[in-house]
Amino acid sequence: MENVATHEDWKVCFSELAPGLVLFARQWVRSTPDAEDVVQEAFVRFWRRNLSIKNRALLYVAVRSAALDLIRRDNRRARREVEVFGEAERTVQPQFEQLDDSQRQLVAALDHLPRDQREVLVMKIWNELTFAEIAEALGISQNTAASRYRYGLAALKKTYQPQ
Amino acid sequence: MNDFSELERELKKLRPVQPSAELTSRVGNALANSEKGTAKVIRPEQFRINWLGLGLGLAAAATFLIFARVDFHPNDKTKQTIASATPSLQQKAAALPNYQATGLTQVVYSKRDEGLVFPRGAERPSRRVRTAKRETLQWRDRQSGAQLAVSYPTEEVTLIPVSGQ
Repeated sequence: MENVATHEDWKVCFSELAPGLVLFARQWVRSTPDAEDVVQEAFVRFWRRNLSIKNRALLYVAVRSAALDLIRRDNRRARREVEVFGEAERTVQPQFEQLDDSQRQLVAALDHLPRDQREVLVMKIWNELTFAEIAEALGISQNTAASRYRYGLAALKKTYQPQ
Repeated sequence: MNDFSELERELKKLRPVQPSAELTSRVGNALANSEKGTAKVIRPEQFRINWLGLGLGLAAAATFLIFARVDFHPNDKTKQTIASATPSLQQKAAALPNYQATGLTQVVYSKRDEGLVFPRGAERPSRRVRTAKRETLQWRDRQSGAQLAVSYPTEEVTLIPVSGQ
């Protein structure tokens, strides 16, 4: 991934970050269109406030906040989200391109992870955030972020056996 | 060496799907609209305390309260001051052009009724009341914020027309 931290052109930044941001937003919303709405709202909000892209953690905070706003906007929808959230732990799958059987197995294992671990994995692996940035975005300590990452990988390793 | 390095490599091979092509154009439109919107907005200046206005207001309020609290039994229409040992507040303020009057305190120590008198040219007698007070005037420099207080005794003689009842 190109180092977007040096770019001030929103198109360059957005094209680099959007796939990971949408994947990150899918942690809270059920559908890709909703996730794209969330990312759009968060990115526009972030960019309009002239926040430096060097502080990427704030962009993920904005995505999280926009996702929660989207859920709260409609109580009925929120209830539905909450109701399905338990199932979502197992049924919502991050969307990846061109999966082979082994990768499908890996994605299935990923979906079985607790949400807090999967969240850190998504931020670390596909968004390339540092533990410091993850900690800032999630409001946790760096040690907690690193622990969740390690626990997530350990859990994946137990269930996923590469072919 | 990280035990999970192989797993991390496998995970990194997974590529998130690209968002729809519309998303970028939607973001572009939203940013353009927000720029237009913000260009039209007349932003009020950031709230700042107008210290001069606040000082003047407080001084006026304090002066009003002080005068309102002093209990002059006779009202202005019936009261006639024939002697005063203190210059007026305007005169004092004029002597200190850089200072803003911020307060006036009057403490009445004694109020003595000296009986009926017949002022020159008056048709009816008046009651002469002598009041001893201590006044404290305070000023504040508008620029430096330095404060100045002056305290002095005053004596005031007031003639109150007798109603004849």
